Amino acid sequence: MSLPTRTLLFAAALGGLATVAHGQDKPAAPPAGCAAAADNFFEDEVWAKVGVRSCLTCHRKGGDGEDSAFVLQDPRKVDGAARDAAMRHNRAAFAKMAAAKEKDKSRLLLKVVGDLDHGGNDVLKPDSAAYRTLAEFVRRVTGPAAKTTDVAGDPKAPPFFDGVVMLDNRRLLRRVTLSLAGRLPTEAELASINKLGLAVLPAILDAVMKEEAFYDRVREGFNDVFLTLGVDGNPDQTVLSYEHFGTTRGWYQKHDLSHIKDEAERKRAGYKLADDYRKALLAEPMKLVEYIVRNDRPFTEVVTADYMMVSPYTARGYGIFDEVKGKFKNPDDPFEFVPVRLKALASRNKAENQESATGFYPHAGLLGTFQYLARYPTTETNRNRLRVRMYYQHFLGVDVLELAARVSDAAAATAKFPIPTMQAAECVVCHKTIDPVAGLYQDFWRFADQGVFGKRKGGWFKDMFGPGFEGEDLPPGERWRALQWLGERTAKDPRFAVAMTEHAYYVLTGRKVLLPPKDLEDPLYAARLRAYREQRKAVEAIAARFAKNNFNMKGVFKDWVASDFYRVDGVATALKDPCRRAELDDVGVVRMLSPEQLERKVAAVFGEKWGRLQGELGMLYGGIDSKEVTERATDPSGAMGAIQRILSNDVACKAVARDFAKPAAERRLFPGIEPSVVPGVSADNDKAIRAAIVHLHERVLGRYDAPDSPEVDRTFKLLAGIVADAKNQKGIEKREAYACRPDRDAPNAAAKADDPHYTIRAWRGVVTYLLRRSEFLYE
Amino acid sequence: MRRDFLKMCGLAGLGLAAPYRGPDAAAADAKKDEPYAGPFYVVFNASGGWDTTYLMDPKGVNGINRLYKDGDILTKGAHKYAPIKAHAKGGMCNEDFYAEFGDELLTFNGLDYSVNNHSPGARYMATGKLDSLAYPTFAALVAACRGPDCPLAFLTFGNYSATGNLVAMSRVPYLPSLRNIANADGVGGNEKSPYHDKFALDRIERALQEEHEAVAASPLLPRAERAENMLYAAQVNSKALQRVTQYIPAQIPKERMAQQAEIALASFKAGVCVSANLTIGQFDSHANNDPDQMKLIPEFLAGIAYLVRRAGELKIREQLVVVVQSEMGRTPNYNAGNGKDHWSIGSALFLGKGIKGNRVVGATDDKQFAVPLDPATLKLDKDRGVRVRPEHVHEALREHAGVADHPLSKKFPLGVPDKERLKGFWG
Repeated sequence: MSLPTRTLLFAAALGGLATVAHGQDKPAAPPAGCAAAADNFFEDEVWAKVGVRSCLTCHRKGGDGEDSAFVLQDPRKVDGAARDAAMRHNRAAFAKMAAAKEKDKSRLLLKVVGDLDHGGNDVLKPDSAAYRTLAEFVRRVTGPAAKTTDVAGDPKAPPFFDGVVMLDNRRLLRRVTLSLAGRLPTEAELASINKLGLAVLPAILDAVMKEEAFYDRVREGFNDVFLTLGVDGNPDQTVLSYEHFGTTRGWYQKHDLSHIKDEAERKRAGYKLADDYRKALLAEPMKLVEYIVRNDRPFTEVVTADYMMVSPYTARGYGIFDEVKGKFKNPDDPFEFVPVRLKALASRNKAENQESATGFYPHAGLLGTFQYLARYPTTETNRNRLRVRMYYQHFLGVDVLELAARVSDAAAATAKFPIPTMQAAECVVCHKTIDPVAGLYQDFWRFADQGVFGKRKGGWFKDMFGPGFEGEDLPPGERWRALQWLGERTAKDPRFAVAMTEHAYYVLTGRKVLLPPKDLEDPLYAARLRAYREQRKAVEAIAARFAKNNFNMKGVFKDWVASDFYRVDGVATALKDPCRRAELDDVGVVRMLSPEQLERKVAAVFGEKWGRLQGELGMLYGGIDSKEVTERATDPSGAMGAIQRILSNDVACKAVARDFAKPAAERRLFPGIEPSVVPGVSADNDKAIRAAIVHLHERVLGRYDAPDSPEVDRTFKLLAGIVADAKNQKGIEKREAYACRPDRDAPNAAAKADDPHYTIRAWRGVVTYLLRRSEFLYE
Repeated sequence: MRRDFLKMCGLAGLGLAAPYRGPDAAAADAKKDEPYAGPFYVVFNASGGWDTTYLMDPKGVNGINRLYKDGDILTKGAHKYAPIKAHAKGGMCNEDFYAEFGDELLTFNGLDYSVNNHSPGARYMATGKLDSLAYPTFAALVAACRGPDCPLAFLTFGNYSATGNLVAMSRVPYLPSLRNIANADGVGGNEKSPYHDKFALDRIERALQEEHEAVAASPLLPRAERAENMLYAAQVNSKALQRVTQYIPAQIPKERMAQQAEIALASFKAGVCVSANLTIGQFDSHANNDPDQMKLIPEFLAGIAYLVRRAGELKIREQLVVVVQSEMGRTPNYNAGNGKDHWSIGSALFLGKGIKGNRVVGATDDKQFAVPLDPATLKLDKDRGVRVRPEHVHEALREHAGVADHPLSKKFPLGVPDKERLKGFWG
């Protein structure tokens, strides 16, 4: 925003404030026809630093302070003009409270420190930066206008991405195809983007997002978010309850395998059957996500879908195979999934059958899947609150435990009231939001391995706020479909689109979006706030398009890929200014590849996976088990450094001699060079070697180096140095090392491994060197 | 070679790009190839919220405990502890634990966690900061300050383990897996069957060094700087993992805490690790508090005892600093399910190098509320004392570890006023 514009808005805002300051009760409203934005000092400073953090939790509809004269609106729950209106409303409320006085002191400043019987006690210390911000606001409202100290929005600041270098189109394309489809760009794609530029990227992405590998990536990425693969125990028992599926869930034990005559083989087939069945059960929730994305259905269906996904194996577990088998292309494929509706659950005791006005189970996307409910179970004392916490985090992007503010003496508050969660202000703050949603899950009241559906004997708890959502009570007639009722509201909540946009960012970058900085005393606060806001702007813009585009998730991926945040590659000059460094601290993908991603990249570059980054080694390399280890390592430990060394040695060992053994036209790594070409012998030889290095740099690292670049010089020096050193060694074998020979067991294996000049082993050294670099191990 | 590179990092203005090199970097560099010799920091977490009244803060009044009465409470020197021998299921009972370690133990009672939810409580206890997701745990901070070159500087087995981007977190779930990666340059981990001839490997390492120097000298985004340095350090330092294999025991213990302890101890002994975060869960005894706590507290104490004893066998016990904690306590009353719910008051135990034992600081009253204390004298002062919270303990821990004034610590201030610092806490 330019300086004159900002000044104008500020002046306009002051006009509004002046009205309030003179004691009128009517909230300050902009003149008719003028959609003046809220003044920046209020939004940037007062609201960002105090209002949203310390006031809104209680002083809102449905909050503990809803009956006070100071009721605010949450701008995050609305968008567009409504958001501006909410901010104006809030500013007016603050201004009114600031102008009101008690013994010559602003009531606003008295309340926040706990005076005047403030229900929330002291929310700010008088010597805190937040208090000073509020005091400055009071001064502006009640005194003569002063120069703004709005450091967070310095009008002279250069554009946020000023001096930041973006990826060129070819490298962006490589990043995208590797990330989303686990492959290198095709020649046709490269030619297209070289010729037509970024304009063709959306079309390329459309095609990439139809590849099977993309859907694998979608499931993997969203499991990192929802973690539904982490259901405890055998899913045929924990997902499918004895109460409702007792006669069908163990179908595999009686499955006829008599056509397999060999007993041992039959036994193995039985194990595989059970294993595939359990994998398919765990896969269902992410298959739902895949189905929505694949068919361009609104992503709101993750909370509203009135269906679930089943495979031929899992359908047998639910006892519906005969009904739905006609939907499968291959009824014997354990991993072919189709959408179905399950009938309302029938219990062993008919009195406990699930009520349903439609006769069907009230599916609500992921919310009502047995896997999601089993992954986040309830306990007698937890009372569904874990589920609520995860609901808010997964679907609205709200960490309800972040709301858990410090209490001066939490133990005393707990002990003082018979029902602290409904009576103690410190507890009510969160529980008034959490507990109504917990009540929506009330019919999923089974613990541990007893399944998930079942009502609580004696009815739902009376010492909790009743079922509902954000101030709206659940109508009794909707109880049987309470999660659908919740899903419908969730889909309409602007926070849903934002949360899903944030999830897509997480899938693409491996890290969460920035949180607003909290430490007002931090000298870099303004820089961090700017970084947060710039990213937030991108999130909100993409979320808005997502909502407008009928919640098409592919559009979100496309928008992120096209965004500056994804395309950032580096900086033009060194960042010496600490403020600028702080602004750009989180910018750039720079993501250490996960074990799965690294395996895919090895396969893309070398033609096959390494195959060892699974199980224990995968966990050691920072993988997750979706149960206890749920966050991927973002930085390499020494143990991971060792694995990188093993991988680079081993992949090069397997790939180099094998590639040379193929006809040149079929080689991935060395199509233009032979082992007989020795460095330092002739200019032609060196030229050919440099060309081969350029090819390797492009293939392995995604670099486009000139043959005479320092990068190529360095690699050439490595190759030539190894060859020269070998020449000076005595007793060096004239063949590649046994472990690295192609077709080791073939009759002519030794001959294929001939390496008289040590060039194959030197090239292996080069590939090892390249595989250890960040350009390969990171994206 | 590495020394030169790290100097270049400094010259290139890499600042906090890990690993940090302080003013004494030259001295540190001289020792950099030597194994890290201690102190070794171990944080034991009783995840889920322990019942301190069945351990170091016994009550036996007001219905707080059903397994003993006030008059049954036992003592060992300055310590009072709950009698549990008759009820403990397996593991190590308080009686045996205090008999063996009471003289070394420092107990702090009356710690005010301020919240009674698991997630914020675990974060607060691990970092000393309630309202930030960015702060490193104490274990991560001390690893970054004292042993940034160690390949497994900060080991964690669960619980809140944020690193503040200061140091890489190492998860080593199985001890044998360390053996599998210790000789990364040998085919199948066999040192006698190297992938590359030595001269070739030396060339590769030199090329990587030159490459890193070139990258460091070029303008980079802060994230890219950190990544380059972390990656280079991880690969170079990983060679020290070879030292670990000799300390991997032939028999892996069955107990979960002992397994964690063995991984930590092998890494300490090999000089590749500074700190470890050990944890067991399921303390969240909302139902049937007493049976659960009587199973878990003894298991937990047995794990602590195992670590300390094995450290003795490995001759590194004198270098151990042990912190024993949980993210919350349990209510002074039983709920309808014979369980106890969350309580925001609790305790912590400390023992090891530089900690004077046989001492109890702080207290709770007979209703299990925290009693404020005078931070200057550590005496109880109900009227004018301060409520000791995790940041006070962390400030003291930072001072004890000698990292309170380290630039990395300064990056994550705890905001404890001077007048509230616990004077003489460690004795």
